[in-house]
Formats: sequence, structure tokens, C-alpha cells
Amino acid sequence: MSAELASTKTRPQSIVYIIDDDRSVRESLEDLFACMSLRTRSFAAVQEFLGSKLDDVPTCLVLDVRMPGRSGMEFLESMSELGLQLPTVVITGHGDIAMGVKAMKDGAIEFLTKPFRDQDLLDAIHEGLEKDRLRRAKERDAADMRERWAALTQGEREVAKQVAQGLLNKQIAADLHVSEITVKVRRGNAMRKMGAKTLPDLIRLVDRLHSS
Amino acid sequence: MKFDWQGRSRSNSLVVVGPLAIAMTVILALDTFTDYAIAAAVFYTAIILIATRLLPQRSVVVLACISVLLTVVSFAFTQSGAYEVGLVNTAISIVAIAVTTYLSQKLVAAEAAAYEARERLLRIARVTSLGELTASIAHEVNQPLTAVVTSAGACKRWLAQDPPSIENAERAVERIVKEASRASEIMSRVRGLTSGKAPQKVRFDLNDATREIIALARGQLDRNDISARLYLRQGLPMVVADRVQIQQVVGNLLLNAIEATIASPREPRELEITSEAEGSKTVLFSIADTGVGFRSTDAEHLFDAFWTTKADGVGLGLTISRSIVESNGGRIWAQANEEGGAVFRFSVPSDKATRV
Repeated sequence: MSAELASTKTRPQSIVYIIDDDRSVRESLEDLFACMSLRTRSFAAVQEFLGSKLDDVPTCLVLDVRMPGRSGMEFLESMSELGLQLPTVVITGHGDIAMGVKAMKDGAIEFLTKPFRDQDLLDAIHEGLEKDRLRRAKERDAADMRERWAALTQGEREVAKQVAQGLLNKQIAADLHVSEITVKVRRGNAMRKMGAKTLPDLIRLVDRLHSS
Repeated sequence: MKFDWQGRSRSNSLVVVGPLAIAMTVILALDTFTDYAIAAAVFYTAIILIATRLLPQRSVVVLACISVLLTVVSFAFTQSGAYEVGLVNTAISIVAIAVTTYLSQKLVAAEAAAYEARERLLRIARVTSLGELTASIAHEVNQPLTAVVTSAGACKRWLAQDPPSIENAERAVERIVKEASRASEIMSRVRGLTSGKAPQKVRFDLNDATREIIALARGQLDRNDISARLYLRQGLPMVVADRVQIQQVVGNLLLNAIEATIASPREPRELEITSEAEGSKTVLFSIADTGVGFRSTDAEHLFDAFWTTKADGVGLGLTISRSIVESNGGRIWAQANEEGGAVFRFSVPSDKATRV
């Protein structure tokens, strides 16, 4: 538990959202997360949650199923359409296997029936936050990489692409009608701008750019 | 009391009786001052028909008697016309009044019976929705329980911190106390709702009670093209149990059988409802359907709470049925029907069992 505490304390900026219509459940969850140094934001209904601005930090959602207005299950199902990529823990007072299967298919990371063990919930929340943190890091990397790629000149991009295809400098030079020296200069520039230390690094980066 | 179902208070009677009395006086005058050949007394039947709608049964009978009396009086005082014609007309009038009264009384009785049947159906419907009720109760209780468990976890963690955060832990404990009492409040409210009343045991004919329920479900059977064959043994001993409760069980088993039959493509759609004596101390009721039935592995769960094979079921019907049957001193069990489907049986003690 101490390791868990330490790990959460180093990332105090993450936030756990809670959507549950029952005030006492919300309060107890807030308290539980508070003692794990997790920040929370609570909502009594899905509508209320959708009306608020989401934080640009790793997040995780604790979602109740039976609520007035839109139910948690409906919301979960529509999440991808809404473009929301929130790791979600579904909690319900009257769950059955069918509902659990449906929730997991709709992308929930955990399905817990009330009353649940606090540790189970915390484990799921940590898993969710970690997942979101990784996703955000990956997205940031991709965006970063695209930005760096955009900083390359047209010629440098051509060279980098052909290098990634495994062509030799000589072949590239012939193809682009430039001298081998120019190819080498452009390749060096591309590597510097893309932050690639070695040639295989550059090849990997270009590959990733094209696959994403 | 039978009339009270119409929801009329007796104070209304005076308002009704006034105009009726005036009308009767008019008829009396007509009948007396016209020729024997004019049977004005027949109009008393109109008075009786109106009174049937507006007055208690006994008053209608009294009114009929008065009408007959007045007819005879008119006959005595009428001056003009042939005596024989008058005699025949008077007799016809009296018969008309009597027949009208009799038929109107039967009508009222039939309406009362229909009303009672509707009432009973409503009561049964209420028991069926008890399942939904219980599900929402479970949800209600689960909320405070969740708060209790979660707060307890938080409290433990506040105390485990170094240094322990006593203030936060105290707040968590306060919430635990508050939520625990909320849960117990919900429970006592539920107990008030279902008020675990002891069964009101009476002697009754299980066959009659069964027929009443089948009559109530007739519409549903017909609508779904299901025929119900009754094998109700004659001369069964009377049973001793809570009549309404046992009817609820019969109704529940019947509805289950109907639903199972609807859900199955098997033909013919038939239910077999049987009553028989098991020894002298027990009467056995059984209902066999050719519906979807249940897997042999499910047999042991059938009566468990919240266990259901129906997509929209809550899984309490059979649980409630079992607790009713057992609290009435009987047993309930299920078997697979050899021809497909299921057979549900329950036993109730007969009056010979309880007299010992």
C-alpha cells in the first residue's frame, strides 16, 4: 500500500470523475479517493457531467448504472460516439452477468457490484489512470512527432522516407536527381530534427508516423 | 354491504326516494282513474329499474312490494271498465313487477361478482409487481451499504496514514453511522410494506379457489391460444390455509406456465391443472405446461431469490410462492414434464390434518 501511496503522490494532477445519483455514495467515494491523494469531481447525472469541461490530465471515471435521466450503461455505450476515451469503472447495485459482459464489451475496465471492496475499486482506478496516462503520453508523442515531421523540408522528408524503405544513399540520389552529398546532408538534418540518434531510430520514427 | 361497492352513501337515498315516490304517485293516480283496460301499473317496472341503479338491494325489494300493493289498491278503487279485464291486467302487472325485480337483483349480484374478481386480479397484479418492488428495495439498500463499506475503507486508510488523520477518520465514521441508520430505516419501511402477517387460515375448497383464478386468467389464456385442462378431483377434503395467499401461489404458477408456454414453439399449447388428495391429510395441486421448461441443473435454483430464466424477470415469484406455501404448512416443488415443459406442485394440509 505504501508503494501505491507513493505512486499516486507523485502524480497529484490526475482526476477521478464520479457519476452517481446518490449523494452519500458520492461523498464516501470522494473521501476514499481523498485519502489516496486522488483529486475527484462528482456529478449527480450524466447530463451534468457532459455539461462540464473536462480536465486535460489523466482521468478515470466511476460510473453508476441506475440513475435518473440517462443510465450509466447507455452513456458507456455512447462514449465512443461522443469521442470520449475515458477509462471507466462501472458500479451497480443490481448487476448481473449479462450487464457485466455488456459493460466490458462497451469498454469498461472494471464492473463492480455495490457494495464492493474499496481495494477492488482503487485497483481499478489506478489501472484506469495508468491506462489514460499511457494513452495521453502516446498521443503527445505522436503529436510531437508529427510536429517535428512538419518541420522537415520537402527534400528532407523525401530522403527520410526512402531511407526508411531501406534504399541506399546512391539509389536515393539517383531517384531524386541530387548528389549523394546532398542526400547525406538531408539525412543528417532529418535525423537531427526528428530527434533520432541512430539510423534505425529514424527508420522506426518514420514507420510509426506512417502507421498512425 | 354488498352494495357499497357502487360507492354510494345511504344519505343519497332520500334524494332518490323523493322523485321516485312522486313518480309512483302519478302511476297510482293513472292506474286508479283510468279504465281497467289500461294497465298503467306496468310502469312500476320502470321505477324498479331506476331504483336498481340508485338504491340498495333491500330498498328495491321493498319498493317492488309497495308497487304490487299499490297495483292491488288501484284495482280495488278503479271505477270504470270490465272487471275481468282489470283482474287480468292487474295480474300481468304484478308478474311484470316481480320478474323485473328478480332480474335486476341478479344483475346487481353479477356486477358485484365481476367487481370482486377485478379487485382480486388487482391484488394479484400487486403481488407480481412485488418482484419489481423488491428489486428497487435491493437497490435502495445497496446505496447506503456502499457508502458504509467505502467510508469504512476510507476511515481505515486515514488512520493508517502517518500521522493518522483522526479528523478525517471521524468524519468517515460519522458517515458510516448515518448511512447504516439510513439502511435500517429502509428495511423497517419495507417491513411495514409487506408486514409479515401470519396467514389467516380458513377452511376452503381448493378446487373453487383454483377455478376462480383460472377464470381471472381466462383472457390471457385465450389471447395466447392456450387451453387449460382441469382435472380437479371431486370430493376432495377441504384445505386449511390462507385462501388469498394460496390463490396468489396458484396465480403465480399459472402465469409462469403461461409465459413458459408462450416462449416455446411447441404445439399444442396446453396446461394441465390437477388437484388430488395425497393421503387424507394433504391436498396436492399441480400445474403442468409444455413450455420451455428448465434444465435439470437449474432445478435446485428455481426457488432461490433473484434467480430467474426470464429476461425481464426478477426471480422472486417462486421464492414468494415457496414462503407462502411453507408458512401455510405445505411444500412446493418442481419437476421436468416428461412431454417437455415443467410441472409445479404444491401441497396444503387438509382439515383432517389440522383437526388432530
